[in-house]
Amino acid sequence: MKILFATSLATVTLPLLAVLCASIGADVQQGAIALEGAWARRAPAMGAGGHGGTGHGAMTANGAVYVTLRNDGPMADTVVSAASDAAHTVELHETRNEGGVMMMRPVARLQVPAGGRLEMKPGGHHVMLLGLKHDLNPGETVTVTLTFEKAGALTVRAPVK
Amino acid sequence: MSRWLAVSFVVWSVAVASAESPFRGGVLEPPRLAPDFTLRAPDGREVRLSRLRGQVVALTFGYTFCPDVCPTTLAELAQVRARLAGDAKRLRVLFVTVDPERDSLERVRAYTNAFDSTFVGLTGTPERLASVRRAWGVTANKRVISGTSAAYLVDHSAFVYVIDPAGRLRLMFPFGTSIEDMTHDIKLLLGRTP
Repeated sequence: MKILFATSLATVTLPLLAVLCASIGADVQQGAIALEGAWARRAPAMGAGGHGGTGHGAMTANGAVYVTLRNDGPMADTVVSAASDAAHTVELHETRNEGGVMMMRPVARLQVPAGGRLEMKPGGHHVMLLGLKHDLNPGETVTVTLTFEKAGALTVRAPVK
Repeated sequence: MSRWLAVSFVVWSVAVASAESPFRGGVLEPPRLAPDFTLRAPDGREVRLSRLRGQVVALTFGYTFCPDVCPTTLAELAQVRARLAGDAKRLRVLFVTVDPERDSLERVRAYTNAFDSTFVGLTGTPERLASVRRAWGVTANKRVISGTSAAYLVDHSAFVYVIDPAGRLRLMFPFGTSIEDMTHDIKLLLGRTP
């Protein structure tokens, strides 16, 4: 009876879990690299039109995507570029806390050590979306592609929170 | 004065860890009246800090092109407000721009509204905003950086300053303070049992 109950519970919950995982933005793996737990911060696009948030104060808005990069391989790998359909320009940035003053700077490359991970998070590394093409509202997803030197391009869907 | 304030903040936040305090954030001891200011809100009204007595005010500084730190702070304060439930109306969140050159009233309104429609974004002339930052010991430095397509970035202090219902500056939450801890302290200031 117990076994039967457990089995029927599994029959019900496992497909449900699978559906949940898929809707939350499945993690992706390619070669030694996996992208886990991607999410984007909600952001208003400020009525952005065709400008790129580039140059001289174009009146658009920016956003951020966070994702954990895991490297299961025996060699370090490096993110060399980032892209997204949600923004005109995409960069890798890092925020550092210098005695309570937050300083955000672009980083050209992001290395993930062999057998290691790099966790992007608020107030740390992030994928910076410059010149949002539309609002990022909770419930929507943003697609982000990170290109690694060795593993190539991995695309992940990041739910907006 | 502002230097003294900034230094005392630092000394004091270090002292907090060991102090016997019911609060989890950094406590300003002794409490003193919060430096007053008058700034403009998106509905055109002038908001004077000292007129907000009777409620707890959470004050933070930032800019609408900020994608990482400012949205994090505002999203967390929105969650604190949600946790306060019936007491949420006794918390007033103010977001003061450090980028008046680009942050129009309309931009500030759209930005704070994305997180909580009760949050009030404030701006003023560059001179007035600079004097508010001096009084509060807040740093804001515009940086033109190579390697980014952003026209410029603004390095800025990312504390949440908490003013009690009597208008006294009581707490500072450093960036990264948990939602639970902020809610706990604000409930205490509202006279509730956390």
